[in-house]
Amino acid sequence: MKILRGTKILGHLFWAAVAAAAAFCLGGIALNRGEHINSIWLVVAAACTYAIGYRFYARFISARVMTLNDQRATPAERLRNGHDFEPTNKWIVFGHHFAAIAGPGPLVGPVLAAQFGYLPGTLWIIIGAVLGGAVQDFVILFASMRRDGKSLGQMAREEIGKIGGFTALLTVLLITIILLAVVALVVVNALRGSPWGTFTIAATMPIALFMGIYLRYWRPGKVLECSAIGFVLVMASIFAGRSVAESAALAPIFTLSALGLAIAIILYGFLASVLPVWLLLAPRDYLSTFVKLGVVLMLAVGILFVRPELQLPAFTRFVDGTGPIFAGKVFPFCFITIACGAISGFHSLISSGTTPKMIARESHAWPVGYGSMLLESFVAIMAMIASCVLQPGVYFAVNSPAGVVGTTPAAAVAVISSWGFPVSVADMSNLARDVGEQTLFYRTGGAPSLALGMARIFARGGGGQAVIGFWYHFAIMFEALFILTIIAAGTRVGRFMLQELLGHVSQPLGRTSWMPGMMATSACIVAGWGYFLIQGVRDPLGGINSLWPIFGIANQLLAAIALCVATTILLKMHGAKYMWITCVPLAWLVIVTFTAAWQKIFSPIPAIGFLTQADRLESAVRAGAAANTAATQTLIFNARLDAAMCGLLLVLVATILLDSVRVWIGILRGTSEAPVREAPFVLSRLQTEEL
Amino acid sequence: MKRFGKLVWALLRELADENAYQRHLEAHGREHSGEEWRRFSEERLRAKYARAKCC
Repeated sequence: MKILRGTKILGHLFWAAVAAAAAFCLGGIALNRGEHINSIWLVVAAACTYAIGYRFYARFISARVMTLNDQRATPAERLRNGHDFEPTNKWIVFGHHFAAIAGPGPLVGPVLAAQFGYLPGTLWIIIGAVLGGAVQDFVILFASMRRDGKSLGQMAREEIGKIGGFTALLTVLLITIILLAVVALVVVNALRGSPWGTFTIAATMPIALFMGIYLRYWRPGKVLECSAIGFVLVMASIFAGRSVAESAALAPIFTLSALGLAIAIILYGFLASVLPVWLLLAPRDYLSTFVKLGVVLMLAVGILFVRPELQLPAFTRFVDGTGPIFAGKVFPFCFITIACGAISGFHSLISSGTTPKMIARESHAWPVGYGSMLLESFVAIMAMIASCVLQPGVYFAVNSPAGVVGTTPAAAVAVISSWGFPVSVADMSNLARDVGEQTLFYRTGGAPSLALGMARIFARGGGGQAVIGFWYHFAIMFEALFILTIIAAGTRVGRFMLQELLGHVSQPLGRTSWMPGMMATSACIVAGWGYFLIQGVRDPLGGINSLWPIFGIANQLLAAIALCVATTILLKMHGAKYMWITCVPLAWLVIVTFTAAWQKIFSPIPAIGFLTQADRLESAVRAGAAANTAATQTLIFNARLDAAMCGLLLVLVATILLDSVRVWIGILRGTSEAPVREAPFVLSRLQTEEL
Repeated sequence: MKRFGKLVWALLRELADENAYQRHLEAHGREHSGEEWRRFSEERLRAKYARAKCC
C-alpha cells in the first residue's frame, strides 16, 4: 500500500516537473528579446507540452468522452479480411498513420511563417496541435473506428445530411487541385536554374521505372530490397549531380527555366496518372516513404546533437502585414500559413481511411490518433528551427520574390539590409558556391531555405563546409521526391473523383480502366492544377504569395468540416456537455479562415486583396501606366479567379457550418432525432499474442 | 533493444506491403509466386491510390 502511494506521489512529482519545464521553456522563448536563443528551448517546450497534452487532455477525451473500451471488437477484428481490415500492432499502426499524414505541409508552412519571427509560428504549432489538430485526428479516428471505418464524406452524409456529404466531396476536390499546384510550385522554385537538383530529380524517374520492373518481374514481393537498391541509386545520382552541374556539355541540358520545369512537372503528373501504377507511382511512393521517415529522424538527431542557435528574432517587423514572402498580418495569416503542423483538414481523410481499419483495440486510437499528430507537429517545430538557424538576411534573400526586393542581387541586398537584416551579394555568392548553385536569390517557396538550414545542421554534425553542397541537394531531393509522389498520387485520385462524377452522365467515362476516359479525365485534372501552377510561375510576386494562402484556407476549411462532423457526433453521444472539445478549435478555425479569406478577396491593400489587385491593374492599363498585353489581362483574370476560388470555399464551408448548426439546434431542442450511428457492440475475442 | 529492432522491421515491412502480402497468402492458402504477387499488388495498389494523399 505504502509502495503504491509512493509511486503515485512520484508520478505526480514527475508530471509536475514536466509541466513546470513546459511552462518555463514556453515562457523563456516568449519573453526572450534581443539575444539569440538555443533551439533546445523550442524542443523542450514542445516535447513537454505534448507530453502534458497526451497524458492528461487526450486521456480525459478517451476515458470520459469516447469511453474507449478494449472489450469492444474493432472493425479490424470484426471485418478482418487480410487486406484493409487487419488488427495490427499499435506502434506499427502509429508509424503507418504518421507516414501517411506527414507531407510537405509541416515542412514548408513553418519556413514561410518564420517571416514573422520564430515565436508566433512556434506557439501556434504547439498549442494548435495539442488543442486542435490532435483532437480533430483523434475524434475522427474514433468516430470512423466506431462506424466500420467509414470515410469523412460518408460520416458527414449520415450525421449531418446530404448537403454535408456533397460539400465535403467538392471541397476535397478543390483542395486537391490547389494543393497539387502549390506543392508543384515549391519544386519548380527549388529546381529553377539548378542543374544539380534537376539532374537528381530527373534521375529518380528512370530509377522508379527500374524499381517497378524489378519488383514486378525480377524479384516479386521484395519491396524492402528493391527500395534499398533505389535508395543507393538515388544517393549515387546526388553525387553524380555535382559532376553534371560542373560539366559544360551537360549543365545547360539540366538548367531549366521555371516555365520549363512547370511543363515538365505537368507532363509527369499526366503520365503518372495514366501509366500503370506499379510502373512509376508505387515504387516512388515506397522509396519516398522510407526516405521521408529517415530524414525526419536524422533531422531530430541532428538538432539534438548540434543544438543550433536561432538567428531569426522572436518577432520581425513583418507582423504588421508588410512581409515580402506573403502579405498579411500575423493574425490571421500565420494561422493559415501553418496548417499541417498545427491542424490540418487533410488528416481527417487519413483518420477515416486506412488507419481505423487497422486498429486492433479501441485504446490504440489514443497513441495513433492523438500521438501521431503530436509527432507531426514536432516535425513542424524542426522545420521552424531549420529555417531560423539561417542569418535573417540570407533567409529573406532566398525567400523574397524579385517583384518585392528588386530584380538584381544588388537591389535585393540593399532592400533586405534596409529592413535591418544585413546581407551582402558576396555572402549570397559564397553560400551559392558552397552548395553548388549559381544563385540563391528569389528561391521562393520555402524548400531551398529549409534545405539550407537542414544542410547546415547536418554539416555541423560531421563533415563541415566540405559536405554542405551534398547535404543541400540531399534535402532538396528529399523534399522534391515526396512532393512529386504527392503530385502523381493526387492527380490519380482527382481523376477517380472526376470519373465517379462523370460516370453519372456517361457510363464509359466512369470506367477507370477505359483508356480514352482515363486520358480525358487525367488531362482535366492536370489542366486544373497546371493552370494554377503556371499562374504561380508567372506571378511577379512569386506565386507563393497568392497560392499558399488559398491552400492554407482550403485545408483549414476542410478541418472545419471535420470538426463539424466531430461536434455533431459528440453532441449525439453526450448532449452539450463535451461539445466544447471540438467547438473551441472549430470556432477558432472559422474566425481565422473566414477573416483570411475575406481579406484575400476584399482587402484594399493590393498585395493582399485579389479584387483590389485586379482593379489596380485594370486602372493602370486604362491610365496607360501599364501595357495592355495578354500577360496583363491574364494577371487580372487570375486575381479574380483566385478571389472566386476563396469565395467558393467560403460558401461551401458556410453551407456545411449552417447545416451543422441547424442539426445541433434540433438535437439540443429535442426536435430532431439524434441516433448514434455506431456499429453494434460485439465482444472482442482478440488474443494479445495475435498482435 | 531486440524488441525495438523487431518492431522497426515489422513497421518497414508493413509500409512496404510485405506483411499485407504475407497475410494475403495465408488468408487464401496460396504459395508465393510472381503471378500471385502481381495479383495481390494490383488489387492493393488500386485501393491505395484511390485515396487522397496527405499534404
